[in-house]
Amino acid sequence: MPGKVLLKTPVELYENGWVQKEAVLYNDAIMIDGLNILFREIKDVELTKYNGKVAIRLQTNNSEFFLNFGSKQGQIFRFLTFNLKADRFAVYFISPAIRGGVIVSDAKWEKGYLAITENAIWFLSPNKQIRIPWDNLGSVGKELKTVNKKQRAVLKVTHVEKNEVITSYVLCPETTLELLDQYINQLLDRQKPREKLSEIEEQILTMVYSGVDSAGIESILGIPTDELNRYYDRLIELGLAKVVKIRKEIELTPKGVNLVNDAMKKVVG
Amino acid sequence: MPKVLIVDDAAFMRKLLRNILFTGGFDIAGEAENGKQAVEMYRQLKPDVVTMDIVMPEMNGIEALKEIKRMDPSAKIVMCTAVGQEQMVKTAIKLGAKGYIVKPFQAPKVIEELKRVAGI
Repeated sequence: MPGKVLLKTPVELYENGWVQKEAVLYNDAIMIDGLNILFREIKDVELTKYNGKVAIRLQTNNSEFFLNFGSKQGQIFRFLTFNLKADRFAVYFISPAIRGGVIVSDAKWEKGYLAITENAIWFLSPNKQIRIPWDNLGSVGKELKTVNKKQRAVLKVTHVEKNEVITSYVLCPETTLELLDQYINQLLDRQKPREKLSEIEEQILTMVYSGVDSAGIESILGIPTDELNRYYDRLIELGLAKVVKIRKEIELTPKGVNLVNDAMKKVVG
Repeated sequence: MPKVLIVDDAAFMRKLLRNILFTGGFDIAGEAENGKQAVEMYRQLKPDVVTMDIVMPEMNGIEALKEIKRMDPSAKIVMCTAVGQEQMVKTAIKLGAKGYIVKPFQAPKVIEELKRVAGI
């Protein structure tokens, strides 16, 4: 039997279309018209767009549900993030502390949890529920940081969000910090590319990250287009980059040249 | 167009910043590869803004910042740091640095920060 009832609310559940139902939120489960989802079975939860609505995607061992709670969505999402199946560590965190290379000026320490699930790591506090999928996680490592005028060991976590590198910091007792560092890095090792990049490949990656276009990269490195394309191919092959645009190189046909001539006559008068 | 002096010991970083700032509408006054050269070039070129790397040979970015601020208290200097140099950034801010960017950076953020510091 489920535990104590916390909330009853209408919900839309996606079943080949959005269907109106009633959800009952217990302290250990959510029940939607006889469908009982225990929190300890929820592997992942995410706010996402689905079939024209912002929905909560809820993933259990066997199923995936899309739910829209309307005006109560934020409240219920927050509740679910704190209750999904995860390893939870009480920490203080700042996220984001650095965004795209610029320190976030109003960032401050928040009391909350670092939660680790199969699919993501989470920064959780009453104000923030930040989900970082493993694929988006960059690096995790210890660093010394001044906190309340004291040098403290913190965990620095970098991840990518909408093509920006975000840096966050975690503060907790040193034994927990050590454990988190090792644990997260073990899981992260699965995602890291095996091959070591050459200096020029690292420079190209840095420039692409910084937003320099292909012509700019060729000019900075002093290499021709063909050579840059070869480097691009390797970065794509390693899964470090993807093609977003294919640049076409063209030359004019005689018809085109004639048209330019005509156009110039107009300009000259 | 505001004039920028780029200071970094890595040629690649100087070229990258040059490309980003030029595209962002800044005029590149010059490039220095250490703090000593930066002080001398600041004296000669009087740029509107300086991007200053911290760890450099001969004279580091903090020392160069001190020298430039002694010469021109209104100098606008943006520290360009790698992550993990937080203590040095704090020192730089106390010494009068107007902003800081952290490597790796993205072009729009760099331009935004430099425009803020340049007051445009």
